[in-house]
Amino acid sequence: MELTVDHFLGLSAALFIIGLMGVLMRRNVLIIFLCVELMVAAVAITFAAFARETNTLDGQTFALFAIAVAAAEAAVGLALILALSRRVRSVDVDEYRTLRD
Amino acid sequence: MDLFNLNFEHPDWALILPQLIVFLTAIALVLGDAFLPERSKFNALTGISLVGYGAALASLYWQRGKDDMTFQGSFRADGLTVFLSLIILIAAILSVLVSANYIEYFEDRVPLGEYYILLAFSVVGALLVAGAGDMIMIFIGLELSSLATYVLTAYARRRVESVEGALKYFLLGIFASAILLYGMAWAYGLSGSTDLDGIRAGISEAVAGSDYMEASVLLALLLLVVGLGFKIAAVPFHMWTPDAYEGAPTPVSAYMSVIPKAAGFAALIRILVQALGPLSDDWTWLIAGLALITMALGNFVALSQRNVKRMLAYSSIAHTGYMMVGLAAYQDGSVLGSQLGADGVTALMYYMLAYAFMNIGAFAVLAWLQERGKGVMLDDLSGLAGTHPLAAVSMAVFMISLMGIPPLIGFYAKYYVIVAAIEADMLWLAIAIVLMSALSAYFYLRVVFVMYFGQAPDASTSAPARTVATPLLNAALVIMVVGNLALGLFSQGIIDLGEEWNTALTLASNIPGVN
Repeated sequence: MELTVDHFLGLSAALFIIGLMGVLMRRNVLIIFLCVELMVAAVAITFAAFARETNTLDGQTFALFAIAVAAAEAAVGLALILALSRRVRSVDVDEYRTLRD
Repeated sequence: MDLFNLNFEHPDWALILPQLIVFLTAIALVLGDAFLPERSKFNALTGISLVGYGAALASLYWQRGKDDMTFQGSFRADGLTVFLSLIILIAAILSVLVSANYIEYFEDRVPLGEYYILLAFSVVGALLVAGAGDMIMIFIGLELSSLATYVLTAYARRRVESVEGALKYFLLGIFASAILLYGMAWAYGLSGSTDLDGIRAGISEAVAGSDYMEASVLLALLLLVVGLGFKIAAVPFHMWTPDAYEGAPTPVSAYMSVIPKAAGFAALIRILVQALGPLSDDWTWLIAGLALITMALGNFVALSQRNVKRMLAYSSIAHTGYMMVGLAAYQDGSVLGSQLGADGVTALMYYMLAYAFMNIGAFAVLAWLQERGKGVMLDDLSGLAGTHPLAAVSMAVFMISLMGIPPLIGFYAKYYVIVAAIEADMLWLAIAIVLMSALSAYFYLRVVFVMYFGQAPDASTSAPARTVATPLLNAALVIMVVGNLALGLFSQGIIDLGEEWNTALTLASNIPGVN
């Protein structure tokens, strides 16, 4: 069997959906954060696959930018999670309920 | 295939002048915060911010009419860039004026320097989205703008609500970014280009000659709309909005109700109108439906809010709905077809400008009261007309303007959107705006009613009022009240400037080496 672009698109779609379901279903804030990172990584694979298919470099460049942005998100996000979990003593998003209707 | 034949040219720095000035302002703020003596920081850093944004605003005069692109097509200076930058820079100046005294006096004396630095980087990000010619630039600009705003939301870090609001905003924000990124990946895969004009050409080719839309095109479109829907707080992607607005320090709520939203709309216009214009028959219905549920939910939930900041958050969702009507009224190929008012995109951008004056104003009054020791619940405003008559008058102006009563700017903003909707044969949306505005009168006028007819709290039982001088905030309030009164009456000049946005569509791709 030969690997084609479709295989990579399928892989990235599967990873993206795993990440998406994780964000929607898990309650641990760190897991949610990691699932979003998984989604971004899945998109990077999509970009690389499409770059191969369309024979252009733009997609690979975009993937690098996406990874850089994900790193910046991690820096800000972990700081916020740390600041809040020190206060609330929990990493469960359902415990963060000072603000609600 | 010119894969390895990359063609580098000298960038035309003059085209990117406003963005460059704000970026240099941010650098100057970083250096100033590090090296200036503590005593002079407040004046110096506020001055640097205001001069920087002011200079950038002035430089738009030279950017106007350039209609060209640079950095291999990544950045475009066209009519759309100029008008969106105008909105963003005005909102930035107002935000600095509103923030300065508040951050100094309030929230446990949090450091001022970082606040201005984050604000400046967020503004740079929004300005880059305004002039983006490429999806990479849109993504980087949006993220730069959002990441700085997440930190600003958590700026009162000793209050747990502030950090909690920021974390909710952050988690949903990066989730939305991932979805947006996936949509961009599919748009790239379908067209083989990240360049907006290249996508337009590629998508036109992909959909030419078929009556139904290919599943992959639909997937890309939906992912892009969902991702950007989060950024502009459209229903059903609005869950973060009330919490983030309520938790954030009040000047930050004012800021993020305008600039990240403007950046989100800038990205929507750039992507939907410029890159996916050939699909406009399909996405206008999608946007119209979202606009309807957005304005309905925002207004209905705002009815029951006792916290004024939270009420303004839902009202901000409702106004997002009105703005989206302008986008839904876009008709590809007949951009200059409007006789009565303005075309949809111009109406949307005028609404954003009006919204900056109305909404930052409303939050500014709340900040003004908080600095004087009052809360942000509806009861705290009770009898305000007796104790602080000028604050009550300005709040009344902003509320009535948000409601949309002539001759205030909010009325004209709604008028142009409604005319655009009618001209696009979306009469039902125009009727929906009118009905929803009538509904919104209840919670806006309730604020006015409480201020003028409510019982002022007994002076002996309430906490002693703090006397503080807030010259910058007062100046901002005067500017915004005058803006609300005058900019509506003299809207024609602004509309004419806004209508130059369509140079974004006619600007020919003249860069060699880009598809």
